[in-house]
Amino acid sequence: MSTLTKFSAIPYTGPAPTNRQPYVPADAAVMDARGAEIASKVPGLTLESGQDLPTFLVERDQIVNVLRALHDHPELRFTLPLDLFGADYPDRAKRFDVVYQLYSLKNNERVRLKVHVAENESVPTSTGVYQGYDWYEREVFDMFGIKFEGHPNLRRILTHDSFQGHPLRKDYDAAQRWLLTDAGIAKLQPKIAPQFVEEEEQSDFERVTLNLGPSHPAMHGTLRVVVTLDGETIVGAEQEIGYLHRCFEKMCETHTYQQVIPFTDRLNYCSAVINNVGYCMAVEKMLGLSAPDRAQYVRLILSEFYRIADHIVCIGTNLVDLGALTNFWYLFQPREEIIALAESCSGARLLPSYLRIGGLAVDVPSDFLANSQKIVNMLPKFIDEVEALVMKNRIFRERTEGVGVLSQEDAINFGFTGPCLRATGVPFDVRKASPYLGYETYDWDVPIAEGGDTYARFLVRFEEMRQSLRILQQAINRGLPPGPVMVDNPYVALPPKEKVYNEMESLIYHFKLIMHGIQPPVGETYFPVEGGNGEVGFYVVSDGTKNPYRIRARPPCFPIFEAYAKMIIGQTIPDAIAALGSLNIIAGELDH
Amino acid sequence: MTITRVSPGVVKVSREPMTLSERAYLPAVIGGMLRTIRHLARNLFNMKGLPTISYPEVKRVYSERFRGRHILTSREDGTTRCVACYMCSTACPAECITIEAGEDERTREKFPVRYDIDLLRCIFCGYCVDACPEDAIYMTRDYEMAIDTRARSVVGLRDLVVPPNFPVGPMGWRPYYGTMDKRGTAGGTGIGQPLREAPYEDDTVPNPDVYRGA
Repeated sequence: MSTLTKFSAIPYTGPAPTNRQPYVPADAAVMDARGAEIASKVPGLTLESGQDLPTFLVERDQIVNVLRALHDHPELRFTLPLDLFGADYPDRAKRFDVVYQLYSLKNNERVRLKVHVAENESVPTSTGVYQGYDWYEREVFDMFGIKFEGHPNLRRILTHDSFQGHPLRKDYDAAQRWLLTDAGIAKLQPKIAPQFVEEEEQSDFERVTLNLGPSHPAMHGTLRVVVTLDGETIVGAEQEIGYLHRCFEKMCETHTYQQVIPFTDRLNYCSAVINNVGYCMAVEKMLGLSAPDRAQYVRLILSEFYRIADHIVCIGTNLVDLGALTNFWYLFQPREEIIALAESCSGARLLPSYLRIGGLAVDVPSDFLANSQKIVNMLPKFIDEVEALVMKNRIFRERTEGVGVLSQEDAINFGFTGPCLRATGVPFDVRKASPYLGYETYDWDVPIAEGGDTYARFLVRFEEMRQSLRILQQAINRGLPPGPVMVDNPYVALPPKEKVYNEMESLIYHFKLIMHGIQPPVGETYFPVEGGNGEVGFYVVSDGTKNPYRIRARPPCFPIFEAYAKMIIGQTIPDAIAALGSLNIIAGELDH
Repeated sequence: MTITRVSPGVVKVSREPMTLSERAYLPAVIGGMLRTIRHLARNLFNMKGLPTISYPEVKRVYSERFRGRHILTSREDGTTRCVACYMCSTACPAECITIEAGEDERTREKFPVRYDIDLLRCIFCGYCVDACPEDAIYMTRDYEMAIDTRARSVVGLRDLVVPPNFPVGPMGWRPYYGTMDKRGTAGGTGIGQPLREAPYEDDTVPNPDVYRGA
């Protein structure tokens, strides 16, 4: 079979690998101009030019003032805190970067702020401006050991209390193992909410602290909530996460760019393809290439199908929590069809790993569109049926209306995205705000609802499934674009096997690509996509080698679960269960 | 729910107030029961349309791209195709492949003395198949890999190597040559799709010892 007799030159004439060249984003000039404009309005910002977002350096002691100014400035209104994370550059005098990413709902734009921090320095806490940054700062402290002055509860969040060291530092030895014994388990004592502090003497009941999870059937995945009850009322609650921490970000740093794709599958495992899309497009953005039309088209179809599947899981399991088991079975039949469609493309059901940087692993089967049409035809019947069963059911309405309410201001301040934000009336959707994969060419609407309660989240999810079906129907009508599914660039895409067996050059490219990997230019980039429950963004730092220097995945569940305690205070345990299901917390994503 | 347009590209979904009969609770409950009873009746009288199957007796057909348990293919003369080039173990994101290379004294060809895959570590991503430059490692459609001890999760050459001309029937993910024709069938819940009685004749596991303990 492998006869290396035929020698022929590969017809590739594109650019040579970009190894160790600096990354220059396509829209760097526009972003610099906008950055200069913002810097003129807010004092304390130093523009860092040549980035894919307006990026500013901020002095450590200035950061809170700057955040406050960006939040309050009437022309800017950066009210939505998207992300806060660290990065470690040990060769620098001030080795750490603390990176803030903000979004302005008013102007539909993003900014990135960086604070350089030395080993023993601390950063003032920004929880006073954005309450959602509470957990993010704990995560940075856990992963990098950077202290935040004035933080109300600065302890580890993803690792356990017997853990030594800070794992995302570059000098941390990843081979170490830390054993958690019974003695090391933190005893959580939730803080009583201010409105209930006084009431203890008047109450007829003794206050009881109750542990929900981590292995409770209603605590989807591995979530743990400790609640203090006064009678049946929850007067204090505290969440603990990290039970499914898999060192996603550390593992990425020791694997090649292509090898990270299966890891991203496992972030939000209910809509794995969307994570793949986000990661692949972030790296493609750095490489300065875009996948062929056919690949983009298949990515869009599978993304929308997986978004529906994600909502099906959320609605179905939430209804199980509420005691309506039948709907779960009705909804899981079309989900099975969606998963079978992905299996026919990629060979795996839940975690397809179908995408590659530069396109798709293989072309879709010839019956792909016919099967897609079949699923699009069958889905409305199931959605209508479940909607008819529950949405006007009095028990269901009484259990969901006014339950788990979070106001619009709080939702924005926590950094909500996705259906949970739209349920409070904010029409923010990454597919509309910064379209990718050609979403702007389709006719569809962003559904919003009012109230921000569990029922509103149901309303939004039901309508979103219908809107996804609209996109899918239009996409199917357009038909599969002809052409390849992988870029024609041997520094990114593995050559076809028949060439590997028959041509020396292709064999060399094949070996080079497996052994040395894809080497994007030196720099950093951020690419957001709309996941099943919010903005999934990938922040990629490349140092020009085959391994990513730093990959940060923005988990949409993280701020949502953070706000959970606030939602359930003053309600009962059954309400808390109903609210939790409607938030669609996916532990794989929450815990990285 | 009623849908009203707020602005271009944004619609508002608002909740409908409950009508008297919905508020009265009983008519709605009866309506809901009728709906589920209709499902029950339809399923009782149309067993063939059921989306579920009796799993161990009947099995679903997966596509020819299915990423199941691995096999190592052989050449016509019976020697294994693998040349121990370590490409698969380099490409493996889960680091589950361990190879030790040896050299054939007569032909000076490299071959694997040891080739272990830890199926508990393996994430079945198919990267090893994509990386192989020798057509040596394929994946099968075999997904029944339950074991009762951890030690049995490591499969070696004895379990992986299949004889030459191994039937294509049970094959799953394998290298594609340029364009790939129809290699998938979206079976879905299998309504109207061919189901197969287990076990299949062409689906013989290369070496069943690995599952049953030898």
